[in-house]
Amino acid sequence: MHHLSLYFHFVKLRIRSQIEYRLSFVFDVCAQASISVIDFFMIALLFNRFKELAGWSLWEVGFLYGMIGICFAVAEMVGRGFDVFQRNIVRGDFDTVLIRPLGTFFQVFAHEFLLRRLGRIAQALVVFLIANSQLAVAWSLTKVGYLFISLVGGTCFFVGLFVIGATSCFWTVQSIEIINIFTNGGVFMGSYPFSIYRWWFRHFFTFIVPLACVNYFPSLFLLEKIGASGVSPIGVHLAPCAGFLFLGITVLFWRWGVLHYQSTGF
Amino acid sequence: MRSLCFAFQVYLAFAKKSFQRRMQYRVANLAGLTTNFFFLLVHIFVYTAFYAARPAPQPLSLDEIITYFVLCQVSFMLMPFWGTRSEVTSAIKDGSVALQLTKPVDFQAYWFADECGRALYYLLMRGLPTFLISLLFFKVTIPQQPTVLMAFTVSMMLAVFMSNAITITIFSSGFWTLDTTGISGMSYSIITLFSGMLVPIALWPEWLAHIARWLPFEGLIDIPFSIYLGKITGIAVWIAIGKQMVWNLFFIGLGRLFLTRGFSRLVIQGG
Repeated sequence: MHHLSLYFHFVKLRIRSQIEYRLSFVFDVCAQASISVIDFFMIALLFNRFKELAGWSLWEVGFLYGMIGICFAVAEMVGRGFDVFQRNIVRGDFDTVLIRPLGTFFQVFAHEFLLRRLGRIAQALVVFLIANSQLAVAWSLTKVGYLFISLVGGTCFFVGLFVIGATSCFWTVQSIEIINIFTNGGVFMGSYPFSIYRWWFRHFFTFIVPLACVNYFPSLFLLEKIGASGVSPIGVHLAPCAGFLFLGITVLFWRWGVLHYQSTGF
Repeated sequence: MRSLCFAFQVYLAFAKKSFQRRMQYRVANLAGLTTNFFFLLVHIFVYTAFYAARPAPQPLSLDEIITYFVLCQVSFMLMPFWGTRSEVTSAIKDGSVALQLTKPVDFQAYWFADECGRALYYLLMRGLPTFLISLLFFKVTIPQQPTVLMAFTVSMMLAVFMSNAITITIFSSGFWTLDTTGISGMSYSIITLFSGMLVPIALWPEWLAHIARWLPFEGLIDIPFSIYLGKITGIAVWIAIGKQMVWNLFFIGLGRLFLTRGFSRLVIQGG
């Protein structure tokens, strides 16, 4: 409970500092949103020409796109501390984290909060809501609950990726760019139905990096496409949990990484 | 003539320094290569699936689309909006522009030289490897006529040049707005959309393609690649290249105007 109130206190401070320059902030949020608007606009252009993609319509893909977009933007907003963690290592700031009477994971997590991602969240949410209204999904209490768990699972998944990127800094100092493949690349590939990818690609992004579990499989259930996909229904029902599991494993990795920390700094 | 020759040597030295600075990060480059390749792969998966569903003839065949995106991954890093930006970009914001002004060189030309070194680095270390590896794995078409390759090379150079002219113009607005994140973000969206980087303009609906034809940004991606693919031929090649030149001059002039106006009202921040 103490941690929670402390977290909100930190977040409040972060938000206050970010809206200090109001005009710049508004511009930034708009710029963020405009970048993602053209992303989806381009997908719409392709559908305008090709009509369908592996049996998926534009708005079904919009559903996928909206889900992954929301998860990623929320993850960037709350997981920012891990995303920019390398500068703590480069400057040697992590030493101060170690001497405070709080867990390292919590401190790094609570250290940053990127409010300007609201633009991106809003854009993804709008696409999701429009897609939803076009598709006439038969919502039930189970489905709403399942959607919620999937979104939280997806957010955990992306935060987990940031944690991996941050942890690797204990060894490499500079953050490893390769993680971009899974974060930005994950959003990009997650915007399309997984069935279009080759088997090895699909398996990698299901069992090793469980992107499909928090986006594609949940959409199959919510859009009632399980039958056509040939995926086992039990697997689909359990899939979103993979996001939590993934984050759990990355937290263990983080703890192990902290033990290997050697101060740099200048 | 002598002084011109000397000036050229000075800017060449700047370009060389900028190139060498980037050579330090070899491992980062390898990671970048992998990332480029990953995005290329996903693009190819997506288009293959789209084309599978609709076998009717399209303005570009699937092989041509694949070549288009290979070229995209080869060249987008050469341009500052999509690659990494040069340090000069932040000079106006962080005040280090004051230091640059003490040097007896033209600031815009210096900025260009720095970017050219950067572009050359990305061409050799990212572009060429990406292209060669792609040749092994994908069906990349290669133009048979040497004239096409020559026209492509000229057009591509103009594209890179224009990308720098545009970037300089955008960031010179920092003299007035101080914070350029908003404006650079907005222009990033417009440029990314209308350059044809995400979807080739040939696949766009007529009305939108029409707008793109009147804007300068197709000169960054779509024009050079269309020349490469032989979609622009004969006299149209000259018109397309002429268009790129005119827009180049326009942005160089505008950037120059912004810089001279900006310098005359410059207040240095930072410290």
